[in-house]
Amino acid sequence: MNQFTKKTNSPEPGVEPGHTQTPWVAGLIFKMAMMMVIIAAAFWARVHLNDKTEQLAREKNRITKEIQEKRTEIQTLIAQRETLRSWDNINSKIKQYNLALRSVNPSQVRYMKRFEGQVSAPSQYNGDTRVADTSVGADRTSGGVQ
Amino acid sequence: MTLFRSMAIRMALVYILLICGFGYVARVLYSVQISRHDELFGKAQNTYTTRIETHGTRGEIFDFDGSLLVGNVPTMDIVGDPANIYILNKKDNEKTETECRMIADFFEKNCENVNSDEVFRRLSKRSFISKDANGKEIERECHYAVIATGVKYETAKMLKEKVKELAFHGVSFTSSYRRNYPKNTMLANILGLTNVSYDTFVPIQGIERSLNDAMTATSGSMVYERARNGRPVTFTNSKSEPTLDGYNIFLTIREPLQAIVEEELDLMCERVKPHAAWAILVDPKTGDVLAAAQRPTFNPNDRGTMTPESSANRLSELAIEPGSIMKPFVVSYALDKGFVTPSSIVDCEQGVWKYAGRLLHDTHNVGKVPVTEVIKQSSNIGTAKISVMMGAKNLDNALRSFGFGQRTGIQLKPETSGIFRPLEKWDSLSVSRFCIGQGIAVSPLQLARAYCMIANGGYKVNLRIVDRIERGDDVRVMPVIKESKSIFANPTTKKMITDMMIGVTEAGGTCTDAAIEGFHVAGKTGTAQKVINGAYSNRYYASFVGFVPAEDPKFVLLVTCDDPTVGSRYGGSASGPTFKAIAERTLKYMYVQPQLSREEWLAERSAAQKALHERKVREDALVQARREARDRQLKEQQAKQTTKKTGTTVASRPASATKSTTIRR
Repeated sequence: MNQFTKKTNSPEPGVEPGHTQTPWVAGLIFKMAMMMVIIAAAFWARVHLNDKTEQLAREKNRITKEIQEKRTEIQTLIAQRETLRSWDNINSKIKQYNLALRSVNPSQVRYMKRFEGQVSAPSQYNGDTRVADTSVGADRTSGGVQ
Repeated sequence: MTLFRSMAIRMALVYILLICGFGYVARVLYSVQISRHDELFGKAQNTYTTRIETHGTRGEIFDFDGSLLVGNVPTMDIVGDPANIYILNKKDNEKTETECRMIADFFEKNCENVNSDEVFRRLSKRSFISKDANGKEIERECHYAVIATGVKYETAKMLKEKVKELAFHGVSFTSSYRRNYPKNTMLANILGLTNVSYDTFVPIQGIERSLNDAMTATSGSMVYERARNGRPVTFTNSKSEPTLDGYNIFLTIREPLQAIVEEELDLMCERVKPHAAWAILVDPKTGDVLAAAQRPTFNPNDRGTMTPESSANRLSELAIEPGSIMKPFVVSYALDKGFVTPSSIVDCEQGVWKYAGRLLHDTHNVGKVPVTEVIKQSSNIGTAKISVMMGAKNLDNALRSFGFGQRTGIQLKPETSGIFRPLEKWDSLSVSRFCIGQGIAVSPLQLARAYCMIANGGYKVNLRIVDRIERGDDVRVMPVIKESKSIFANPTTKKMITDMMIGVTEAGGTCTDAAIEGFHVAGKTGTAQKVINGAYSNRYYASFVGFVPAEDPKFVLLVTCDDPTVGSRYGGSASGPTFKAIAERTLKYMYVQPQLSREEWLAERSAAQKALHERKVREDALVQARREARDRQLKEQQAKQTTKKTGTTVASRPASATKSTTIRR
């Protein structure tokens, strides 16, 4: 026997006639709606997250590709630079433009005392106590074979 | 009741059907999810999972200061997909052919080394026949046809844009790289080269070969689930193994010094036109090879310049009879062990000496001279006599202690250990010949190492050409391998032998051309006959080896000329000037301060010249006095004989008497 379908002549005390089933149905609908909203929100969040991840991955790939391209360009430029820096190339330019270049003479280099007991020389200083005739401010003279 | 019964039956039937249905579904589910799970899951995974291999780049080679010697240049390979080119115009074969021809012509016009007909042939091949697992012949679509390989990056980039504009379908560009030698011929024989076989670098020789394992990149892989468009699905599991690039190699070579050596070697080749020539510059304290060059050489970027002659690595693979440059090792050992002192007098027999039934000659006629002069004038006889005095066992010890018969430890493969017979296989002549560099074969590297030992005071040091290998933060430095104990028991041995070798570049020495203003240069000349078909020929190896500054050497330099054809064939004349030129420029590069001022140096030179002149005057006077005494003696004898025979005096013949006292070859 279904007690919910039982008809009674007098309403239960404290319950208004016509409002007997409303709170229960509304509650159920509300609960179900809430659940659906939560599920939908979770689903949407997941889809949105995946979409976002996918977008970021695509962006990452694009940037990686760009970096890769830049690296390739850098690598190409390095190769060009090294070719230009090769002595073969420099030598040919010296000859081509007839540049009057000459190599440095170690006699040009002079180390001297700046202060008492202190030598303004790098590690190559080998005890040479000769003092430059000119230019006390510089470690290296302007050139010329001694 | 009847109604209820029929309803119950129908309900029961429905239940049974439902149960059967569910049962079937359950069985299928069990089969799919449990029994055949692995099989089906694997199949599915294969469908949506992709595995790609990633390749790193081969390590590059730099000089000590990071200047690139061997690098990787990015290039692109252009590949066609014949099946896709056809798909676009499937209905119209003629049109497809036109498109293929257009593509082929386009790439011939814009790329180097592309033949239009060849590309057209490849692109036209839509399918090919292959066999399936059962051996049955099946026709497959062709998706890969090479259009061009190794296209320059800039060119490829431009072509890519054009291909987009022209809407060529089925043409793709893939990144690749090729080995580049930006310094062309510089150090080519040491660096070596690689070939490419199926996208893999195959080392042929040199550093490329000996350090191939370190330079080779480790391939990685990536396994991922792909979307319909082939891209990885980011929110699924993916596995990846990292790709590791090869180690970059940093050599001990200094590029500026290498350039100096190469340039001077070229000038020497122009001057004396040798068959071959080489030079090595080594730091005697660490064994670092600072520069190493040889001629003929080749350009690794242009394989057409490669010949067996030009591509051989003479420095580590060639073993030659060194000649007189072996003498300092024997003399230094004799000095160290106390067999002789610098002032001990050795009779050099005026240029001819017979030992063990064979004659030994000197190029200059030297008489009784101190040991110092034996080195200075490079007397074969003097050195052989010292060697004979020491004995075979000591000579063997002497040469082995300087590393002859052993490899130098340099990171170059192959490396010869030379030819140096064990003591028990020596004959009676060996003791008088090995000491002057005959009957023994050594490599240029072995010679350089042995001179490093004299220069650094007798410490055996392994040669190094690789300083360090690097990959990101992973840096591995190759250690300097140097013995802690000197082979010289006497601390003054180094000074004694160095002083003798300084004499070689001073007045009266065999190579005054190698003297450098402001420095004492310790050196030794060597002129060795070449052995051709088992016999000594009329061709020579002319060498000069030395170290500067003699008192505190910054480098050891060996220069050898193989068979100079123009000018003098002697080491002092052929290689000496090149030694000087390289050493002078190297000292400037290294900022080595001159030991002596110009005035001091000139004064020293003129003093040596004066001393030589005085000695010559003294010797001439002595010879003259002896000659006069002999003449007088001869005159007296002749007078006596004449008196005995005739009772009268006749004129003597001094000229013939003089001739008879002089030995000439």
